[in-house]
Amino acid sequence: MIPQALDQAAPVPAPPRASDAELLRAIGQGSEPAFAELRNRYRRAVEHACRQIVGGELEDCAQEVFMRIWRKASLYDRSRGSAPAWLLTIARRTALNFRRRRELPLPDQRADEAGAIEAPDVDRFWVEAALERLPERERTVIELAYFHDLSQSQVAAELGVPLGSVKSWTRRGLHRLATLLDEETT
Amino acid sequence: MTHEHAWTRLPDLLADRDQPELLAHVASCHDCQRQLFLLGRVDRALRGSASMRRKERRRLGRGRWLRLPPGIVAAAIAAAVVVLFLPHNASVRQLTLRTAAGQPIGRAILDRSGADSTSLTLVARGLPAHRGDMFVLWAAGDGRRPTTVGRFMVAPNGSCRARFNLPGGRSWARFWVTPPGRPNAVVAST
Repeated sequence: MIPQALDQAAPVPAPPRASDAELLRAIGQGSEPAFAELRNRYRRAVEHACRQIVGGELEDCAQEVFMRIWRKASLYDRSRGSAPAWLLTIARRTALNFRRRRELPLPDQRADEAGAIEAPDVDRFWVEAALERLPERERTVIELAYFHDLSQSQVAAELGVPLGSVKSWTRRGLHRLATLLDEETT
Repeated sequence: MTHEHAWTRLPDLLADRDQPELLAHVASCHDCQRQLFLLGRVDRALRGSASMRRKERRRLGRGRWLRLPPGIVAAAIAAAVVVLFLPHNASVRQLTLRTAAGQPIGRAILDRSGADSTSLTLVARGLPAHRGDMFVLWAAGDGRRPTTVGRFMVAPNGSCRARFNLPGGRSWARFWVTPPGRPNAVVAST
């Protein structure tokens, strides 16, 4: 079973600097703090993956994905692929099973393609989780720019901070993401 | 251009390639080329994620309207038409921002000078500066559900001055401030 305490507890401040692969190894050895950290990072990404295939009932589907990750983490082999790719595979397969069991209708055409995992899919899945690892200022300016289509001047006005600070936080955040991407997928 | 300076500015190339000096450095620096390649992947991943979110928002939005009974949709349209054609007084209104203990720490100034939007200036001193000095401003009015107006930064001494644009044609009754991710932890309200 999934550790009960983790359902209610706030994310445990466990190895925030550990890579996803290191967390999976620790989870495979039964580390609950590592599981809480991975769950905190990937909650949003897993919910998005579930939504594409299942449509509704996101929480139940995501819960099942994390349960499977908890059980199967010891099977993860870094030499066979990156941690985000493995996690995305688990998430999609679990969501497909979930949908079949509940006989849910297809939410959209993408569900047909759910079996094939391409590199851009993995990067998109990974970046949702990686954003959770950025300092709040850096995450906020990047999310406002990319997800809300704001220019850097608009972000500065929105946050009430100088434009120079927005530029500097954006650069730092993107560099940090690039470094994380290098660690996770190579 | 030094390597450190070029490295810092590499993300600028994602939006604007017209930087000859920076590009000249990258052309001769393997580390910068590698980092720029990774930054490009991050940029594409973020854009892909943004595109997916937009599609989901559209799908959810469309579904929400379709699920509403036709009577309610018609009433909402009628109400919107009435609001649009009612004369609006261009006026400035000030609301005092207070802590939970009732201590005044700032004000929210509403300027309804335009029909399309209302300008809101939030000025405060003495906000508790914590959680990365970032706060979320919420608004409510017209009996509708509370909505987030935006995020703003607070200086280490707890002062802030931020401007926001609110949709026009609505009556905004109350504003409040919470830390990000904790909508029930009200730090101050009008």
